[in-house]
Amino acid sequence: MMRASLRSAATVAIATLVVGGVAAGVLPGYWIYLATAVLITAVNLLSIGIVEGRTGMISLCQLSFAGVGAWTVGYLNVAGAPGGLPLWILIGGLAAMPFGIAIGLPALRLRGINLAIVTLGFASAFDAILAANTFPGQTQFLQVPRPYGFDSDEGYFLFVLIVFVLIAAALELLAGARLGSSWLAIRHSERAAAAHGVGIPSAKLRAFAISAFIAGVAGGLLAGYLGTLVADNFTMFGSLSLFAVATMAGAQYAEGAIIGGALVTLFPELLRRLNLPQDLGNVLFAVGAVQALSTGETISESLRRVRGRLLRRRATETVVLNRADLPRRRDHGAAPALTVRDLSVCYGAVVALDDVDFDVPAGSVVGLIGPNGAGKSTLIDAVTGFLPSYEGSIELQGKALEGLLAHKRAQLGVRRTWQTNRIAPDLSVGAYLMLASGGLTTAQLRAALAWIGRLDPDQKVAKIDAATRRILDVAGVVAARPALALLDEPAAGQSYDEALRLAARIAEIPAVFGSAVLLVDHDMDLVRAACASVTVLDFGRVIASGPTAKVLELPAVKTAYLGVDETVAA
Amino acid sequence: MPGGQARPAISGLMMNLYLTAAVAGLAAGGAYALLGVCAVFTYRLVSVVNFVGAAIGAAGAFAFAMLVEQGLPIGVGALAGVIVGAAVGIGVGAIVTKWFAESPASTKAAVAVALLVGLAAIGLRITGGQHPHDFPELIRGSAFRLAGVEVTNASVATLALAVLFTLAANLFLDRSHTGLQLRALSERPVAAELIGIPVHVLSLWVWGVGGAATALALIIIAPQRAPNFLALSLLVVPALAAALIGFFRNFWVTLVGGVAMGMIEGLASVIPGLGEYRTALPFLVILAVLLWSQRGARWDDAR
Amino acid sequence: MSALRVADVHINRAGLPVIRGVSLVVEPGSVSVLLGTNGSGKTTLLEGLSGITPIAGGAIELHCEAIHGLRPGLRARKGLAHVEQGRTVFRTLTTDENLRAASREADLAAAYALFPELERRKDVRAGLLSGGEQQMLVIARALLTRPKTIMIDEMSAGLAPVIVGRLMSAVRRLAEQGQAVLLVEQFAALALSIGDRAYVLRRGRLVYDGPCAALAQSHDLLHRLYLGDSSASQT
Repeated sequence: MMRASLRSAATVAIATLVVGGVAAGVLPGYWIYLATAVLITAVNLLSIGIVEGRTGMISLCQLSFAGVGAWTVGYLNVAGAPGGLPLWILIGGLAAMPFGIAIGLPALRLRGINLAIVTLGFASAFDAILAANTFPGQTQFLQVPRPYGFDSDEGYFLFVLIVFVLIAAALELLAGARLGSSWLAIRHSERAAAAHGVGIPSAKLRAFAISAFIAGVAGGLLAGYLGTLVADNFTMFGSLSLFAVATMAGAQYAEGAIIGGALVTLFPELLRRLNLPQDLGNVLFAVGAVQALSTGETISESLRRVRGRLLRRRATETVVLNRADLPRRRDHGAAPALTVRDLSVCYGAVVALDDVDFDVPAGSVVGLIGPNGAGKSTLIDAVTGFLPSYEGSIELQGKALEGLLAHKRAQLGVRRTWQTNRIAPDLSVGAYLMLASGGLTTAQLRAALAWIGRLDPDQKVAKIDAATRRILDVAGVVAARPALALLDEPAAGQSYDEALRLAARIAEIPAVFGSAVLLVDHDMDLVRAACASVTVLDFGRVIASGPTAKVLELPAVKTAYLGVDETVAA
Repeated sequence: MPGGQARPAISGLMMNLYLTAAVAGLAAGGAYALLGVCAVFTYRLVSVVNFVGAAIGAAGAFAFAMLVEQGLPIGVGALAGVIVGAAVGIGVGAIVTKWFAESPASTKAAVAVALLVGLAAIGLRITGGQHPHDFPELIRGSAFRLAGVEVTNASVATLALAVLFTLAANLFLDRSHTGLQLRALSERPVAAELIGIPVHVLSLWVWGVGGAATALALIIIAPQRAPNFLALSLLVVPALAAALIGFFRNFWVTLVGGVAMGMIEGLASVIPGLGEYRTALPFLVILAVLLWSQRGARWDDAR
Repeated sequence: MSALRVADVHINRAGLPVIRGVSLVVEPGSVSVLLGTNGSGKTTLLEGLSGITPIAGGAIELHCEAIHGLRPGLRARKGLAHVEQGRTVFRTLTTDENLRAASREADLAAAYALFPELERRKDVRAGLLSGGEQQMLVIARALLTRPKTIMIDEMSAGLAPVIVGRLMSAVRRLAEQGQAVLLVEQFAALALSIGDRAYVLRRGRLVYDGPCAALAQSHDLLHRLYLGDSSASQT
């Protein structure tokens, strides 16, 4: 996986450098000057891409962050600080970060929309601050000097190009790492990300802080580009317009950022040459953004789709299961994996769980069955920390879980799958497994995918069907080798044969991976094949518990499933 | 003590200065309150954080100014402005309802931001960019003196309008059959559609009412503001801050929050060193409300 | 004349076929029961019929009028009511308001006559009602739209047997008053005992279409559906 992201980082770097280098040699001076503006805007768009395209949040103050970076550079210049522009730009980016953190902290919980409101507020406040102050050096007409050796327009273009490539390549690397995968997971489902042990506020905050840093760098680059700055370079409306461009172009990708930069810079140029008013550009960006939002596909995503269709995929290699390569079993000791006592949950007047007691012993697969609405999913939510409150006690290997948030419980060893599909479609199968398992070697990853069902690690999750996503969900949970794995209807949508094959896999989880399993499913053949013992819930109460074959023959259990007394119906 | 007698006189003078400043902020406060209440109205009923709300109102306000410049009587012009506001609101609503009815709240918010960019660009183009239009005063003169401070009719009118709209919105939602259907629609759009509630028509209606009310508010306060399309559109910031004070639910708290923000802004304008930063106030309010309201929250339930 | 006639309907979800050519009819004055395991496509089929999910092929006729091109709201106004699973009451509205939302000149007396339990709770917010009361409320709410056909999804899920019995007899009474009912159920035996015609769905296709009584007596088939193969062979 790391190799894949290294490869794509290298691709981005080489492609951009080659195109840029050729452009620097061929283009006339005025166009070089414009191309530099394209790249600076592209850096700023990358900063929006992290927050919007990758993490699914809205930030409306990126030019204000750029303003902080530019102001810092201007100040360091006036103060005659050592190091020159490259160092000043770095400091400018770092100066923008605390602003990002301070603004992001209160907004990153609960509703994502809060970030949109608070960033808009900051942009407006920053407008007021800029209106009341001048940039350092502005009144003395003190120019920010360009770096030594890069002071011509061609030279500065190359300098900006190098900065862009460094940032774009670093972002590609980050996208392949756990943090990048968590962002995509958060964008799709915050609950699912928390269930993998991802701390949601901190992951979002890191995205926002990195975004502020990059925007700050863009501001510094602009200071060197223009020499002197005015408030007009960093207005709130500019930030809004840039957001529309990022939404339209898909700025989480390097090519999307460059396309966006070109749109911002060259479209007004085109309008000017056609003698049309230049502010029509914003109308185009608005239409483009609405269009991208309604189709769910940005310009760069469309390009990637077309490219994917042109480059025929290599034939999928046949994956053979080599058991020696499977992730090593983790020994969780002999303490009961899960102990539930007197668990009760109410929703308003509805009692979902009523004084439930049961255990999942270490090294076992326990079935949890019952008709729809019996409280099975509520029980899983309670154990994994996705309910606001419950009464009673839940212990993992003798440790009480009360008071711990979902991602903490996941980190301690409580992992779950979901009934609804919550796997981020933008991830590859392999990247998802890396995120869920918390780190595997390539051989382990392939073995785990072969074990569950011959999945191709390079395929996008978006391309696989819902039933296969469920077993991928299972693979992620067991590859993490937690003390307790809760599988919520993993066989739904599988054919009869697939379900039985899955049952055989589930039955061997304790021996192969060391996890105890709680399996919820409606398919009794699956439950028979996988579970030595079952617990039956009906109306939130445990009505039977014991060896599977015996429990399924109990009249009370048949009644719960068929809705009538078995003896009467017969 | 030589200064002993002068001190109360000075502090009385200062008090008077502050009071004048605060009362001068009433007109702005009434406008923030009304815009905030409109934002709550739109959010509660069609689940959109309406970033484009003030721009819709600005379209109506500028239509009014330009029609009056063409020689239309002020009253007729104002009516036409309100109608334009409603029409632009319905247009924006049609885009959101047609393509984004099923979308998550964050997508709808992004759409609203994009539409703000587009509408402001069109507005600036039509209204001549930075060249100011002459905004006639729909309501002129002063109503009365309060503690020696003059209260203008425009302030009274915006305040009254804000209170009236809040009252009407509450009454309408609680008492009328359409209001009942709107509450049902906002909670479960699919279930509402399945029992035959005309979901689309009602949503457009909400957008139209919001647009009309915002246009009227901006027509009244525009003469006291920088008469520039963008500046009016960006009044959405204090509006959303006021709405946030009411947690995007409570009309009355939003109303009080909006008025208070206007008065504090007025006060800040006469305090040396603070005045030029007074438009940063909504940001501080937003930060404070978020810090307060997000204490126990964990994650975004929508996803 | 059939109240609802469904001919060769296909429905896809995320590009995958979920319903593959289903035909069925619902007659006025009768209860048709639609059975099937989890994931067999029952809910998707109802969503396709009411218009929440688009259909990929086939035809839907309500009293001989093709309705499959219409929006869900229009289908509702033409007389097709759909009670979704999960008891979709408007939680912040009171019982009374939930009912009035369905119809302006609503004759709430008829609704309360069907479920007298609700009248006692008429000023209580629907979110605070018990599961059984919520189920009664959504059925009553759907009936206030004066439907020609009412489709009820997973009516008894998570409800106590006493309540289920109460609801089943109410449904039977509706049919006796001339209403056409399509009931999706999980409590097979009880549903079959009050139903007239039964359909069984497996992997998006109908595998049984016949009288309820015949299916109720065929214990083998019932067991194969609900407790798996080995259980059926033991019986």
